[in-house]
Amino acid sequence: MNQDQSAIVDVVRSILGDQSTQAAVIAAEGPGWNESLWKVLCEKGFATISIPEALGGSDGDLADACLVLHELGRAAAAVPFVENTLLAGWALAEAGVALPQGMSTMSTGTSKDKLTVTGASGGFVLDGELHRVAWAAHSEHIVVLADIDGNPHLIQVPTALTTIEEGRNLAMESRDTVCFAKVTVSADKVVEAPDSVNQDSLRLRGALSRAALIAGALDRVTEITIRYTTEREQFGRPIARFQAVQRHLVRIAEQTVSARIAVDAAAINASTHLDFFDIASAKIVASEAAGTVSAASHQAHGAIGMTKEYELGQLSRRLWSWRDECGSEAVWSRRLGVHVAEAGAAALWPRISTALAPERGTNEKAGVN
Amino acid sequence: MKFSPTVLTPEEEQLRAEVRQFLAEELPPGYRPGLGIGAGSDRKFSKKLAARGWLGMAVPKKYGGQDRTAVDRFIVTEELLSSGAQFGAHFVADRQTAPTIMKFGTEEQRRYFIPRITAGELAFSLGMSEPDAGSDLSSVRTAGTKVEGGWLVNGTKVWTSGAHENDYFAVLCRTSPSDGDRHNGLSQLIVDLRADGITINPIPFLDGGHHFNEVVLDDVFVPDDRVLGELGSGWMQVTSELAYERSGPDRFMSTFALLKCFIAERDPASLSTEQQRVVGQITARYWTIRQLSLSIARTIDDGGAPAVESALVKDIGTRFEQQMIELIRDVVEIDLDPQQGSMFELLLAEATLSGPSFTLRGGTTEVLRSVASKGLAR
Repeated sequence: MNQDQSAIVDVVRSILGDQSTQAAVIAAEGPGWNESLWKVLCEKGFATISIPEALGGSDGDLADACLVLHELGRAAAAVPFVENTLLAGWALAEAGVALPQGMSTMSTGTSKDKLTVTGASGGFVLDGELHRVAWAAHSEHIVVLADIDGNPHLIQVPTALTTIEEGRNLAMESRDTVCFAKVTVSADKVVEAPDSVNQDSLRLRGALSRAALIAGALDRVTEITIRYTTEREQFGRPIARFQAVQRHLVRIAEQTVSARIAVDAAAINASTHLDFFDIASAKIVASEAAGTVSAASHQAHGAIGMTKEYELGQLSRRLWSWRDECGSEAVWSRRLGVHVAEAGAAALWPRISTALAPERGTNEKAGVN
Repeated sequence: MKFSPTVLTPEEEQLRAEVRQFLAEELPPGYRPGLGIGAGSDRKFSKKLAARGWLGMAVPKKYGGQDRTAVDRFIVTEELLSSGAQFGAHFVADRQTAPTIMKFGTEEQRRYFIPRITAGELAFSLGMSEPDAGSDLSSVRTAGTKVEGGWLVNGTKVWTSGAHENDYFAVLCRTSPSDGDRHNGLSQLIVDLRADGITINPIPFLDGGHHFNEVVLDDVFVPDDRVLGELGSGWMQVTSELAYERSGPDRFMSTFALLKCFIAERDPASLSTEQQRVVGQITARYWTIRQLSLSIARTIDDGGAPAVESALVKDIGTRFEQQMIELIRDVVEIDLDPQQGSMFELLLAEATLSGPSFTLRGGTTEVLRSVASKGLAR
């Protein structure tokens, strides 16, 4: 982490300390997101990290964004940084389109999605539905990647033109079904998608983002589990002194550092090139860790961990959702397995030992207030 | 606790390319890879590596080393492991004995032993475990009695890998009575495995192989100048100071050949979804654990002493290399035969038989967790 990145982490952590308190996290479960936190992140420029300044962003790259995600995960923050910025904002920026006013969201796609787009006089008509679209109920725009006459396009749809069926993940974060009942969008909201924006790249960015959120939440779970087990006394001594409990602590720490380094390494490479191998690996390792660490941490905490007011549940419920969102470890393992097998045995070790991209020097650094 | 992804320099990448090229030329097509440090000993092979300057890489040039780094040594080691080469002859000396002598040894010991180790001429075993001292190492009973000019050593060491092939072993023994704290009064002695009074008895491995030995020391004379480090500091030397150098690639890559051969022997299009999943799962772990382990090497080069991190990575790595055997076994249906079958099948049989040792050697999982958890809760 360079100095600029440390500064980003410090400021974001301090904002979250004010805005994503335990009470705020619980309160956000009602509406499904933490609106006031998102406003502060927008005002301070953190909400647009990795979007070029020329297009209304704060500059920086995906590695910078992953540091923000780590902090958001730690704080169980229900804000649309991934969907607004790293998916919708990025896709539009790649097409040379500035971030629209107001919040946007974008889906990485599910197998149940069905959407057709046809030309009409003065615009285009969208018909169908998208599932598990994060924060859709709170967004002003939904950015859709869809084929028009066989060519992929990006379409900004005002959410007001759609019907939303609200849904939630296990942490009560918004995950909505968006119905497009022959919605007509004017031609100025439609732009051809550049090659870089496609279903694969969206899925990769989504998976890396979820992995980064997971790594952040794991970091916090490790901290509170160590704190709890060293403070809580039974049989006359802190329970962390018992070997059976130590086993949980070590497992938690191991899985947490594994997820963290996988995300960090994938993010470094992703800042120059979105690499399937790295990101698949990071999501596999992070999603596996999410399950293992949640289980071990709940076991180490006992009944207190099962209460709504205790912080662990805010983190574990996110871990149980995020590990499946944008592809579970099983999904990515199969994809990676196919990829590795097709590359052949001789390519296996060279790929595993492929060096990380050297420290970037020329990229614009993130400029935030 | 912090692990950072490690970016390699062009020089480090160049070293990797050279080692890879060397191995491609040395190992014949169809070579049966070995499993990690159990791949076997081949002194000629070790000497060839030495000739290229790939032994004792982190040791100063004045003692025959290369003045290079822990990361350079990491690169050479992981390339050797990935090809399943037989590097057992020099490995203990390269990983453990040479750094210990550099750190604690006398100038004369450095000048005598280090150049011979880096030339691949001297091979070492470890002399720690005893029949009644395993994880509880400080209860060793092998003892030295002071005599004119040296020590008379008596006792029995067990699980001494390679004693029948190697030249010396570093013996942990008691040189003064315990003063109430068993950790005091222990010393390390460098003992010639061919000295008078040494008897080496094989302890057949469960598959019948010869790795382990019992080494009986009966009035073995060890001269004063073969005491390694301070008298009475043996415990500190074997536990703390170099512990962080022991979480290298040998702790997670023992069974790499298994995955490689699994892939090599199958048509990618014929893999079941379960097989695809297992290949992906294992590959992701290799990539991740390697970054953790490499990060420790870089931290050592930067002057750090990542003892807790090292215990964690060794636990992660050794459990992984053991678990991956079961993951793979679960998606193939083979009645294993240790003597017949394809390369993959033979390796799976070998891995199944040797796997339990991965989480025992160099400190059991249980002991490592104890070390790690104390560091975490501090």
